[in-house]
Amino acid sequence: MTEPASKKILLVDDSPFMLSVMAKAFEKEGFTAIKAASAAEALKILEKEQPDIILSDYEMPGVNGFALRRSLLKDPATKDIPFAFLTSHKDNDLIMKGLDELLAVDFINKETPLPVIISKLDNLVATVRQKQALSVEELRKAAEAINVKSIPAKRPDVKGFEIDFWHLPYQGHPGGDFIDFIRVSERYIFVVLGDVMGKKWTAWFFTFSFLSYIRAAVRFCVVAEEYDPALILQKINQVICHDEVLKDILAGLSLLLIDEETGKVAYAGAGDLPLLYYKAGNGSLTSIKTSGLLLGLFSEVMYDARILEMEEGDRLLIFSDGIIDYTEGDVHKSDYDLFKKNVAPFLKMNNSFTAIRTYLQKQLAGSRQADDCSIISVLKK
Amino acid sequence: MLLEIKEMDKLVAAKITEHEANLNNAEQFKEEIFALIDNGHLRIIISFEKVNYVDSSFLGAMVSCLKHALSKGGDIYLADLQKDIYSLLVLIRMDKVFKIYKTEEEGASSI
Repeated sequence: MTEPASKKILLVDDSPFMLSVMAKAFEKEGFTAIKAASAAEALKILEKEQPDIILSDYEMPGVNGFALRRSLLKDPATKDIPFAFLTSHKDNDLIMKGLDELLAVDFINKETPLPVIISKLDNLVATVRQKQALSVEELRKAAEAINVKSIPAKRPDVKGFEIDFWHLPYQGHPGGDFIDFIRVSERYIFVVLGDVMGKKWTAWFFTFSFLSYIRAAVRFCVVAEEYDPALILQKINQVICHDEVLKDILAGLSLLLIDEETGKVAYAGAGDLPLLYYKAGNGSLTSIKTSGLLLGLFSEVMYDARILEMEEGDRLLIFSDGIIDYTEGDVHKSDYDLFKKNVAPFLKMNNSFTAIRTYLQKQLAGSRQADDCSIISVLKK
Repeated sequence: MLLEIKEMDKLVAAKITEHEANLNNAEQFKEEIFALIDNGHLRIIISFEKVNYVDSSFLGAMVSCLKHALSKGGDIYLADLQKDIYSLLVLIRMDKVFKIYKTEEEGASSI
């Protein structure tokens, strides 16, 4: 899991002086403070930002703190962000209304010393995070109990190959990316990298359905002795398109079948980013494309596979779209070719995957990560 | 409103007004496009002129809209895509799913 994102507070106050003083004090204590001079400005900011907590003045010209809170409660995206009022009112009825009807977490008197306010809200954010972490843990335990993990705990042992993987969830929450290694016999192992479209919880829940279908399709094909990743994708896609619950959920998938006896790798993709194939012999890095569309799009889609005859030192990289994101100033971008160009020098190194991982960690830490990131490397020994 | 709507001869042009098409506005996009389709505007060309970045949640919403339009005998077209967004859509084969035009005008005259 990643480090928790820094604490972010949205301060709403019509007094520029108060805003500035509070922002400085919160920032000194490790918060990122976003300032809004009115309820309207706060609403505009919340279209793009997701703070951990909101502290709003009650008395403001135009739309007051209560009206702002009411608007936020109506919107599913903002209703669960803890909200505290700051007021000079000592009217208990008003305070009760704020706490009971408007579900404010606190009503703080403006005369309260700032360090006390910060400490209160800091504790609150910590408690909320702790609760969230516990819920995630409970869900993870439940998922583990039925033996589905969206990201495996360790690398698989594959004769003649070295497999590595790295996964970074979006904002520390489990998301739509999933990785699986399915050992079907002493000779064959499947490597799966999928990306359910969407983020965080919703996407995460669906990864389990996808994983179950993928495992089932793989097993059915193996029983029928059909070792063809394209055929497996076709079967998975048909089932997903006919599943009432999953029919509006889409996923990209890269599927590799490694044959330990011949050393060959078969690759089929469904709306995934083209695989990168590094050949140690001539130092070339090629994109390998297949034609398959995203899973869940149309039931009659055909998939195709490519057979890769890897030599010693050759390496394959499959990855989700979060890997190719970067930030330029304030602007988010996705650029596959840029990633390919940046990653190329690392592939010549002895400890390539460690270097790639370090590069990605640095790259994503310096920018606003926009999505889950997952990458799998398959090295022919 | 996320979309700036312009009714044309045979279709409706919908321009995305934000720079990022992502999880935060994907649902709103879907609602606005579904409303257009349900009001009988079956052919919609979406302009990405202002958009710098599209994430997978938004792509998912776009596909839901396409499926909804197709089920009613309509279609969704894309236009004014910045170079890297266009490249990404081609890489994941979305160009086989959506008809993509260079500009809204080009789309409007050929649809």
